[in-house]
Amino acid sequence: MDLALWIEFIIKGFILIFAVLTGFAYLTLYERRALARIQTRIGPNRAGPQGFFQPVADAVKLIFKEELTPAKADKVLFVLAPIMTVVPAMILAAVIPLGTQFTLPFLNRPVTLYVSDINVGVLYLTAIASIAVYGIVLAGWSSNNKYAMLGGLRSSAQMISYELSLGLCFVIAILLGNSMSLLDIVEAQKSVWFVVIQPVGALIFMVTTLAEVNRAPFDMPEAEQELAAGYHSEYSGMKFALFFMAEYEKMIVISMIAATLFFGGFREFWFLQGTVFSVDHFWWLGPIYLLLKVVVLLFLMIWVRATWPRIRYDRLMAFGWKVLLPLSLALVFITALGILLANQFGAIYIWTIPVLSILAGLIAVLLVNMSLRRKVAHA
Amino acid sequence: MTTLVETETLDLAARFPGSAAADTRPGYSDWIVNKDKLVEVATTLRDEFGYDLLSHVTGVDYFPDKMEVVYEAFKTTGGPGVLFKVQVPRVDPIEVPSVTPIWPGAEFQEREIWDLYGIKFTNHPDLRRILMWEGFEGHPLRKDWHEPFYEEDFKPLKSRWPDGKYVSSEDKNPYKDNLQFPQNFDPEKVKIDGEAPLYDTLQKYTTVDGGIKTDHIIVNMGPQHPSTHGVFRAAVVLDGETIVSLKPVMGYLHRNHEKIGERNTFLQNMPYTDRLDYFNSMSNNWGYSLAVEKLMNIKVAERAEYLRVIMAELSRIQNHLILIGMLLNDLGAYFTPALYAFEERELILDIFEATSGTRMMCNYHRFGGVSRDLPEGVLEKIRGLVEDRLPRKADEFDRLLTENEIFISRMKGVKVMDAEDAVKYSITGPVLRAAGVPYDVRRAQPYGIYDRFDFDVALRHNGDLYDNYLIRLDEIRQSIRILQQAVKQMPEGPINSQKPQYQVRVPAGEAYGRIEAPKGELGYYVISTGKPNPWRYHVRAPSFINITALEKMCVGKKIADFVVILGVLDIVLGELDR
Repeated sequence: MDLALWIEFIIKGFILIFAVLTGFAYLTLYERRALARIQTRIGPNRAGPQGFFQPVADAVKLIFKEELTPAKADKVLFVLAPIMTVVPAMILAAVIPLGTQFTLPFLNRPVTLYVSDINVGVLYLTAIASIAVYGIVLAGWSSNNKYAMLGGLRSSAQMISYELSLGLCFVIAILLGNSMSLLDIVEAQKSVWFVVIQPVGALIFMVTTLAEVNRAPFDMPEAEQELAAGYHSEYSGMKFALFFMAEYEKMIVISMIAATLFFGGFREFWFLQGTVFSVDHFWWLGPIYLLLKVVVLLFLMIWVRATWPRIRYDRLMAFGWKVLLPLSLALVFITALGILLANQFGAIYIWTIPVLSILAGLIAVLLVNMSLRRKVAHA
Repeated sequence: MTTLVETETLDLAARFPGSAAADTRPGYSDWIVNKDKLVEVATTLRDEFGYDLLSHVTGVDYFPDKMEVVYEAFKTTGGPGVLFKVQVPRVDPIEVPSVTPIWPGAEFQEREIWDLYGIKFTNHPDLRRILMWEGFEGHPLRKDWHEPFYEEDFKPLKSRWPDGKYVSSEDKNPYKDNLQFPQNFDPEKVKIDGEAPLYDTLQKYTTVDGGIKTDHIIVNMGPQHPSTHGVFRAAVVLDGETIVSLKPVMGYLHRNHEKIGERNTFLQNMPYTDRLDYFNSMSNNWGYSLAVEKLMNIKVAERAEYLRVIMAELSRIQNHLILIGMLLNDLGAYFTPALYAFEERELILDIFEATSGTRMMCNYHRFGGVSRDLPEGVLEKIRGLVEDRLPRKADEFDRLLTENEIFISRMKGVKVMDAEDAVKYSITGPVLRAAGVPYDVRRAQPYGIYDRFDFDVALRHNGDLYDNYLIRLDEIRQSIRILQQAVKQMPEGPINSQKPQYQVRVPAGEAYGRIEAPKGELGYYVISTGKPNPWRYHVRAPSFINITALEKMCVGKKIADFVVILGVLDIVLGELDR
């Protein structure tokens, strides 16, 4: 490999990490302001215009805060845990394509808008995303605190359960894109986004990602009202900030993944295809479109947090295993079937997928509703 | 005003000749029961006469010769209660049989009496200190127990009044700081493990199943915990996420309200009652003024009665709004419902502020009336609230929350209490009514002018969390109904039947004034000896008594449910710890 490629990797890596870190900082502000609007408040607006420097102030506060380590904590793991949580969140972004490519002026060198396009990109995502759970479990265990311990245990159980459905949603996108490379998946959505073909799959994906990043209503591991703060009860200062950072970075990255797999990634909206607003026309539109989609998806997460109560832990597990898993299995089957039909009898048969999957989704909703009713009748 | 009607059919003296006698002291009523016959009398009262709800148990120290334990039981079907007392000589060890086996609701109250009076209850399942800490020296409500910086028994203290000299308590203490040691006290040698007795009472388990040893885990929820609504603590034994055993620990906010109350003059107590349930100072005032007015035998000014009803019902509405909002918070909804609830609550507090001068510590009632009339324009504001905004708010909450799937799946079918147990455990208020017992003091034994209003006792039947939520909405709606009528009917006139006075004359005797506070039956048991200060001032705090059944409610549920159960129980630590 030539030196230029290495330099390119390093520069792109730096830019990406910088972007994700800045994104994290401003996501906190975005969330606080959005929550405030929903709650009929104003939110932070003192530091800088519209609270623009609030993240800076927060960072300064967190950096200068005293860091406490519990006396009986496992010191090594206690320090290692936040790092193990935050690193996977950052390196996840490496395979996500932010755009097509452009030619560097003067050097005449084509530069792609992603760190790397590995041919098993989706596999890479599932693998790295699962590592983060170690950090949380170890944080819970090493703190020598019962709340933290319970939080860590809940977290591991929850993440493992929801990762299955998440993985199956990846499979849906792989089937539809006919590739494991994220770039190919994006290109396959040029004319029609996968969310149109597989709306229920996209919905399940978003639900499971909420569980994956421990956001409300699945924020069991840190259920404040039950477990004080869950796995990061004993953390303070910058170590706490790292957990916080991991959560928000994961939010960003997972929204990017959702946008990539189901919402056309960096591609323009389908009706802009072939116009001057197409990514093929201006390469720099790619990151902008992706950002727009990510902002909207992030708002959905914030919205959910602002409005819904938390599901009880046992119900959450039941929901994951008894509803989401069978449903996503069915969806994979339906998708495969639809693709087979389309290949055999013509492209129009691809529309059996949304029809059948919405049907499957409705049946699932109906069953859940019935079981709720039954529970009530027993009570 | 209602007075205790002499119980016409109940003649304990005839039923238990020789062991029960009428209380003939001037100003006192009902029965004095022989200590040995107490359990028998109590059982008879409950089973034969239908006095199924033990309202309160308390001690009185008739220094220097005897101690008295006072019981009052009511029928859940309504009507006046029966008051019976046990007198014992004031020589340690003082022992009285426990009524906990008959009315489990007496458990914590008897522990409190043991803690504060040193009366031992034989046959009590778990007699430990409850408000003071293990290792505390003495029993503070005894008349011969003196606190640090003690000056004299009754206020106003001679050092402060009438000359108004400033005396620093620290200067009077030989140790020059806020400490007072028992004789021969050596801090180096004393070792108190206050936690061991607590953990001993928890039911633990260890099982070996297929070679895998399973052990319990004890988790302390509190005293600093985001969802305990104050410095409340529960030691919980967990099996995974399921609660196996639970013991509430309280007293972190204890200030011996009752001892302070006995030092104060009658009127001085009024602002102190504000601090009990600090969300509802308006209804706290009412219970106390009711008891003292009963003793003084005075009538309340007509307009003041209406003002009291208006303020108390507004207070109930804002209390339930907070409850619903914070309940959703306990469920994990991030503050949005709470802030929505606070919107209307602020408007209600504005009315309190305009009328009484403060938003939360209102100090509004006076014996015979209230302290201030409504300022100009406030009645219009109240009318606007009760005709328009508050009904809309109730509907809004109904629309937003009642049908939410997550909410239903968390709340429905999680049974808190059934009717029978709720009565046994002396639970009152919305929690009792959610279990299907239509017991509301406003109807069961109307006080003030509640008999003039047309409203229903809100009732739900399942006793699960969901019903406990719904009943709050129902009560808000009923309160709005009462308010609408009260605002229409309110007459002009004086706001106090008495002259303004700093010192009231209260004839000797006893009185129990009870109201339906938003959290349950709030009662004040006041004994006067004719002096400017009450001899005994006891608060029957609904939070404290409702918490007695906490273990019963929580065992077998998930730890996430514990938080919600605590939320619907609606405890306020100012009242719980007193």
